Amino acid sequence: MSATIHLTLKVWRQKNASSEGRWVLYEAKNISTDMSFLEMLDAVNERLVLKGEDPIAFDHDCREGICGMCSLVINGQAHGPQKAATTCQIYMRDFKDGATVTVEPFRARAFPVLKDLVVDRSAFDRVMAAGGYISVNTGSAVEANTILIPKDKAEAAMDAAACIGCGACVAACPNASAMLFVSAKISHFALLPQGLPERERRVLAMRKAMDAEGFGNCSNEAECEAVCPKEIKLNHIARLNREFLRASILKK
Amino acid sequence: MIEFARSSIGKKVLVALAGLFLCLFLVTHLAGNLFLLVGENAFNHYAEALEKNPLLIVAEFGLAALFLIHILVSLQVKYEDRRARPIGYLQQKSKGGSSWGSRTMIFSGLLLLVFLVVHIKTFKFGDAGEGLFRLVVTAFQNKFYVAFYVLAMSALGLHLSHGFQSAFQTLGVEHPGYTPWIKKAGCFFSALIAGGFALLPLWAYFNLGGH
Ligand code: HEM
Ligand code: FES
Repeated sequence: MSATIHLTLKVWRQKNASSEGRWVLYEAKNISTDMSFLEMLDAVNERLVLKGEDPIAFDHDCREGICGMCSLVINGQAHGPQKAATTCQIYMRDFKDGATVTVEPFRARAFPVLKDLVVDRSAFDRVMAAGGYISVNTGSAVEANTILIPKDKAEAAMDAAACIGCGACVAACPNASAMLFVSAKISHFALLPQGLPERERRVLAMRKAMDAEGFGNCSNEAECEAVCPKEIKLNHIARLNREFLRASILKK
Repeated sequence: MIEFARSSIGKKVLVALAGLFLCLFLVTHLAGNLFLLVGENAFNHYAEALEKNPLLIVAEFGLAALFLIHILVSLQVKYEDRRARPIGYLQQKSKGGSSWGSRTMIFSGLLLLVFLVVHIKTFKFGDAGEGLFRLVVTAFQNKFYVAFYVLAMSALGLHLSHGFQSAFQTLGVEHPGYTPWIKKAGCFFSALIAGGFALLPLWAYFNLGGH
């Protein structure tokens, strides 16, 4: 059943990275409950453009929950009210007619606001560049069964590899810690034989890069797990801790 | 080693290890204090035996070191956590991960710190001329002291309701088979320790009071 609702949006507007931001109220009238949250923002933006105003900047790309580009904290929750969903997968049927909806950017020192709701998440890229890869010679692919991987290990690694790097874990963490993201990447390699040659080097380097970006520390509150659109579990953080302890002991 | 102790994970490992050793201390401390319930002679006897033991001073320095590490490193960790989000949210709503205990670690911790100072001043450096039993029971005749004590022990229960299982996660001790049991043990342990310690002032106030 589709219906139309009217909302008041309370949106963070910030001209650029160095300017001060402020809260601005917008009326979102005649919004179909079949619209996605981002389509609703599109509709609001079209009206802003017609009035000659600057549209609200927000990140998005695939709009089907796979690229990790969309962000937003909606009514205090990263990726809005649903579990296991990205902001682009949130629909307006989750909102009550007449409600005021606050829309904020992800907040962390390591994720500075670039404009309005767009934040710079390149800190994640730098952490990945520090060790989130395996070194292989290019050329023709090796025979798939040369290295055997037990099914449970492969599945656990795939669960970790489901991370799309959206940064909601950082946004929801009371400490703005990136441990869930980094742990997903560490797990994904630590569980597979291909990840083993660089095992210690990787975790030491990625931990160092993570701290250098100014993320907070993990207090095991599990808010990250609760907002993760890909349902990455807290046990990966325990594995990261384990891998880091092991590598620190073995380090020469 | 220094790099480890300065890293985000290393600092948490220090807090967790010190925290778990403090949990062990709490068990022995509570066990000893239960002699209060046995009677004046038994308790004073226990206290004297402890004080005569030359190893006590070693244990006391060890304990002080554990507290110092736990408190200083956890405060540093919390300071960094604050700095990691200079501009906060207008609105923040849990999606169900955190608990009451986990959200209030710093507050329960700071209350415990205040308690610790008062506690050491009253009982360690108090006048035990008529025996430690008298000192303790007299202190527990003051209803404000008893209320403060019980409040602090509730904070301890809250602190451990998250802290106990959190420490295992920090140390990487995690397994689908036994992690649920660690969590259950944490609830049980925190309730037992907080309840046990809170029982003593209440018992002394209501049972031994001349008020
Ligand atoms: C007998 C007293 C205490 C015991 C048994 C205890 C135990 C613990 C344990 C087991 C943890 C969990 C560590 C982890 O998450 O890995 C913890 C965390 C913490 N403790 Fe204590 N604690 C005590 C006293 C204190 C005091 C006096 C403070 C004062 C500041 C304090 C502050 C903290 C903080 C802030 C954390 C959270 C650190 C974080 O996760 O970011 N604790 N405690
Ligand atoms: S826009 Fe790609 S995940 Fe939301």
